[in-house]
Amino acid sequence: MKRYDCLKAVAAVAGDALAVSSAGAMTLEWNALRPSDGNLRVRTLGLCSSIALGMALGLPHRKVIALDGDGSLLMNLCSLPTIARMAPRNLTHIVFDNEVYEASGSKRSATAAGTDLVGVALAAGIKNALWADSAEGFAAAVEGALKGEQLCFIGVKVSSERVAVAPFPLDEVENKYRFMRHIEKTEKMEIFKVNLPASYA
Amino acid sequence: MNPAEAAKTIVTGLKGAGIHLIASLPDINLTDLLREIEEESAFIHVPVCREEEGIGICAGAYLVGKKCAAVMQNGGFFNSNNAIVSTLLQYQIPLLLLIYYAGDIGDRTFGTTGSMTEPVLNALGIRYYIMRDPADAAELIQRAQIMTEDARRPVALLVTKEALGRRSALKSL
Repeated sequence: MKRYDCLKAVAAVAGDALAVSSAGAMTLEWNALRPSDGNLRVRTLGLCSSIALGMALGLPHRKVIALDGDGSLLMNLCSLPTIARMAPRNLTHIVFDNEVYEASGSKRSATAAGTDLVGVALAAGIKNALWADSAEGFAAAVEGALKGEQLCFIGVKVSSERVAVAPFPLDEVENKYRFMRHIEKTEKMEIFKVNLPASYA
Repeated sequence: MNPAEAAKTIVTGLKGAGIHLIASLPDINLTDLLREIEEESAFIHVPVCREEEGIGICAGAYLVGKKCAAVMQNGGFFNSNNAIVSTLLQYQIPLLLLIYYAGDIGDRTFGTTGSMTEPVLNALGIRYYIMRDPADAAELIQRAQIMTEDARRPVALLVTKEALGRRSALKSL
């Protein structure tokens, strides 16, 4: 399966879900398919699942999608027991497993040697974890996860091919501000309001 | 102040600072504090497996409008450095770091960790203050939260055994 086609299936049902995407070409493909200020690109390899967990805990009524990769999740495997322990019902964790560090020169990752990330998620205590082994199965799993009220982990094996799309146009700070303004607007809340003394206001 | 009273004071400070989510990993000296945090219903407490995870969790919660704190030992601060640099500093995200200062003067363990703590904070450009007197804890935490929000950078409080009520404070420190 192609990651791009899988991302298309996610975009079709994502609605106003917040999306956190791991470093690499996936972010570019995702933003081409679902351009939104509700997208956050992660720069620290491994942190995608943890940042998504923080969002899910902070806004428990809002759907959050983590778009993770095998190399990224392997670096932060201990996020899985923490996610299982907190079990946010609004988090869908999707892992695109292409068995290589694609963004770093395509060296093989441990999943190429047999590590089963869905098995790891299940063993960590995430009850609703599954491999999607067809395009239809993947689309149905994602739709079910986003319609449901349960923590879900979905793994999918994808090829390492990239689709040529436009570069991500934002630096990290602009991405942050746009994301937070998007939260303010869609959640009708003020995040940046500061009460300064009158002489400084 | 005994450890239970010191823990209550720190929690009062965290509540006063508007903290909503706390990520933590235990150290024996943080036992009373973490128990107090766990029992406080104003907080979402996230016990993590590795401190770097906690930085990501706090960053995510901040991005959706929540004030956060990360509680760890200084060894855990070292574990968190990549996330502190390429997430907190890179995106200009504030975070209150409460770091237990292992290897402080008078400790027989973690001397190497203690010796590297302030140099690494300095290297990262993270402003920090050493919390010694538990009577100051609540006020110090609220001021540090103002600083981190204003600077949009992490700010660290090095929490000593004295501040945790586990050793008597010296006026000269």
